[in-house]
Amino acid sequence: MSGQLDLPQGTLDLLILKTLSLEPMHGWAISERLHQISEATLVIPQGSLYPALHRLERKGWIDAEWGSSENNRRTKTYHLTGSGRRQLAAERAAWRTLTRTVELVLDTR
Amino acid sequence: MRRLLSEVRYRLRALFRGRAMDTELNEEMQFHLEREIEKRTRAGASRAEAERMARAHFGAVEGTRDEARDARGISVLEHLGRDLHLAVRSLRNRPALTIGVVLTLGLGIGVNAAMFGIIDRLLFRPPPMLDDPGTVFRVYRPRLSVDEGEPRVDRNFAFPTFLDIARLTSPFETVAAFQTRRLGVGEGEDVLEVPVTVASASYFSLFRAVPARGRFFTQAEDAVPQGTQVAVLGYDFWQNRFGGQDVIGRTLRVDRMICTIVGIAPRHFVGMSDQGVPAVFLPITAYAYALRGQRYPGNFNWSWLELVVRRRASVSREIAEAAVDNGMIQSYRNAQAFDPGWGTPEENRVHGALGPVQLARGPDASPETKTATWIGGVALIVLLIACANVANLLLSRAVGRRGEVAMRAALGANRSRIAGQVLVESLVLAVLGGVVGVALAQWGAAGLRAWFLPADLDVGVLGDPRTLAFVAIAVVVAGLLTGIGPAMDAARTITSGSLRIDARHERRERTGLRSLLLVLQPALSMVLLVGALLFVRSLRHVRDYRLGYDVDPVALVAASLRGAQLNQAAQRELTQRMLDAAGTVPGVRYVSLAASIPFWSNEGRRLYVPGVDSVNRLGRFILQAGTPDYFRTMGTRIIRGRPFDATDRVGSPPVVVVSEGMARAVWPDQEAIGKCFRIGSDTVPCSTVIGIAEDMRVRSLTDSREFTYYLPAAQYDGGFDPIIIARVDGKAADYTTSLRARLQTEMPGAAYVTVAPLQTLVNPRMRSWEFGATLFVAFGALALIVAAVGLYSMMAYEVARRTRELGVRIAMGASVPRILRGVLARGGRLVLVGVLLGGVAALVIAPRIQDLLFQQPARDPVVFFGVAGVLALVGVLATLIPALRATRVDPNVALRAE
Repeated sequence: MSGQLDLPQGTLDLLILKTLSLEPMHGWAISERLHQISEATLVIPQGSLYPALHRLERKGWIDAEWGSSENNRRTKTYHLTGSGRRQLAAERAAWRTLTRTVELVLDTR
Repeated sequence: MRRLLSEVRYRLRALFRGRAMDTELNEEMQFHLEREIEKRTRAGASRAEAERMARAHFGAVEGTRDEARDARGISVLEHLGRDLHLAVRSLRNRPALTIGVVLTLGLGIGVNAAMFGIIDRLLFRPPPMLDDPGTVFRVYRPRLSVDEGEPRVDRNFAFPTFLDIARLTSPFETVAAFQTRRLGVGEGEDVLEVPVTVASASYFSLFRAVPARGRFFTQAEDAVPQGTQVAVLGYDFWQNRFGGQDVIGRTLRVDRMICTIVGIAPRHFVGMSDQGVPAVFLPITAYAYALRGQRYPGNFNWSWLELVVRRRASVSREIAEAAVDNGMIQSYRNAQAFDPGWGTPEENRVHGALGPVQLARGPDASPETKTATWIGGVALIVLLIACANVANLLLSRAVGRRGEVAMRAALGANRSRIAGQVLVESLVLAVLGGVVGVALAQWGAAGLRAWFLPADLDVGVLGDPRTLAFVAIAVVVAGLLTGIGPAMDAARTITSGSLRIDARHERRERTGLRSLLLVLQPALSMVLLVGALLFVRSLRHVRDYRLGYDVDPVALVAASLRGAQLNQAAQRELTQRMLDAAGTVPGVRYVSLAASIPFWSNEGRRLYVPGVDSVNRLGRFILQAGTPDYFRTMGTRIIRGRPFDATDRVGSPPVVVVSEGMARAVWPDQEAIGKCFRIGSDTVPCSTVIGIAEDMRVRSLTDSREFTYYLPAAQYDGGFDPIIIARVDGKAADYTTSLRARLQTEMPGAAYVTVAPLQTLVNPRMRSWEFGATLFVAFGALALIVAAVGLYSMMAYEVARRTRELGVRIAMGASVPRILRGVLARGGRLVLVGVLLGGVAALVIAPRIQDLLFQQPARDPVVFFGVAGVLALVGVLATLIPALRATRVDPNVALRAE
């Protein structure tokens, strides 16, 4: 699978939070959305998606409720909470700082 | 704060709704997979292909499940619950194995619980209600015996010595004296011999004890010399004898005293006593005065009191010990002033010493204590063998379950989860074993405790938190010991990434650990059985040992005068009446007076032998005096010369019979008959030796430096206690009633007769061997059975596992003897190595129990080879059945089973 990237450690949470900030969605939709947005560059290990979701839920950054999908299946839909939004902002800022710093170092001659 | 709240809420939900959350998670993942499959079929993949790819993309389902659960954060608790559930189910599915393991562990834990209770009470636990036991000590007096020149430790002291020590008020807050003896309590027909503690008034202040009724006796009631005849009743005695009614102020006859009851001791109060639960407590002075009259307070020759002290908090133990040392030397000087026979404290190297309140930890511990400690060690070994056996069974099963483990691993369950589950299973088994063990100890240990702990108020294991705590520790240790092997095996199965689910194909078995466990069992059994056989042979030596008299047909008849004041003549007349009356009882052959009774009371005097310096350094010389039938009554043989007879009267030339050992010690290489020596002082007439009798054991079974000389009663100037000995046809125990009935009619006033077979005096001397032998044999047999079952099940398992290989070999033409030999050799090798290792260990350990054995070398080759032979035989038998099964393997069946 050339042209695909493994997800750096710890960034999955950030990506999930970002995805959910657009609209509430269920687990499969999240993995699909991440796949599309990243233009099929990111390989989301789908198996690790659910532990991550549960972890975020435990921390209170996302919440979930059961509803029904288009074809009337029971689905669990996740949405961002207030503290999740704040967490997203904080992590985003941290990420920017990080990438900028890394670039700075890489660009130095 | 909100995060914390949300976390707590989430965790609580996870804790209480864990199962529902699992279902939800399953549903969620299922939904995900279906959407993925749908997507891929739409993109043109076949349904099966799409399914496969979706699953591959998703990763291991079970792992995700575990991870998600871990992410929820309560997994430890939840996993434990799940593992317990699984463990119980898996154990229920194999009832035979479960019952076997639980019983094995139960026996192991049970014997340990029983022995722990005993050793704890003997060595560690202070008497109930004792206040601040760390500051309380027993007083001992180490010294060289002036007569024998041998070191000894006195624990019983004369009343004036108690007074001397009690004067040491600056180091000691309390100095108390006590003694427990069996005394007749009650009137006439109702007389009961019960343990009575005679104590100083200070005794009670050592304890945090509040009388159940009334009060304890006071210093004023324990005043020298006469005291006041008051009594405090023990709680149980009060309940049993008086039904718990109000008895304060009533009188009770105790021995020769009429005591007023002033109080009831609290329940479970036994004082310092280790000789039975006291029924009555009396002031020392009142008892001593009633028994010995007004001269007792200065009499250093009546050593009968044990001393206990409590040091002041401000005084260190060293200073307290120095004070008691000094006080003892001072008191000894007083004793010497009273009777020069004591010698000086310097030449006797007298000291005073403090010892812990637990008698068994002091310098005067009984051999029973040592035996108990050893048996405690034996119990631990039994538990070890049980653990080795169970570990082996579980390990064999773990190998059989590798398939299952590999399957779960492939499904993504992680290592620690699987190992943890195996461990939980063995812990569950150990807990069940602990329950069985407590039940066994609760019902089975009562006899054991009564034997070692006469003053124990038995509350059983269930009422004893210390023993229960010990059992809990034993359970955890046993669970870990038995579970660690299988758990590691499971973990390794996963690490090796073994997807070879079929265990039969796994050629490289990890048999090392199992072989070690198998070797361990015969090795430990060997050690135990060597101990058992040593004790059994000791016991047989003791039983066969000629004491110098017959035990079974001899009875002791004693009159308790209880205050009937008789003068010398009247007392002599009474004993004569007793002799005559006893002689008329049918079945009684001979009767005699006796000055010394074996293992009961004895007399010794200084001897003066012309030409021999300080005779008394040669050994302990015991004076015996009897009427002409004495030797016939006791069954003591005359080796040379003649016994004394009716012609040896008052006024005729003094004669004496000496024991063989004494003749040899005093007149080596000379004929003793015709020699003469003086008894008691060097101014009395010389007694001529007229005969040599066999050696007699009077004080100790093992002391070969104990000698006896026999005087005719007519020429003996000491008084006789009103005790006679009678020889009957058959066993003395059958005559106690008839003797007692006949002699009671001769008693004056309130006096009463007790009859005791000599056996009851001699038997307690054999107890430590009897008990050592019984328990060692019981535990050794237990260990042997467990080890044999272990070997059998292991060999049976191996044969079953090798069915295919054996089938092939038989098909290829291997002969039956060859197959048989192969299997037997494997079992034989394990047993042989075990026996060798155990034999070496036993050789090293055995000499340490030498002083508990009786005329039995600890490294007796007969014992070692005998036990090795038994073990080899058991080993062969345990292997034989599986080996025979191996020869009957049908190649067709075996190969088709593949």
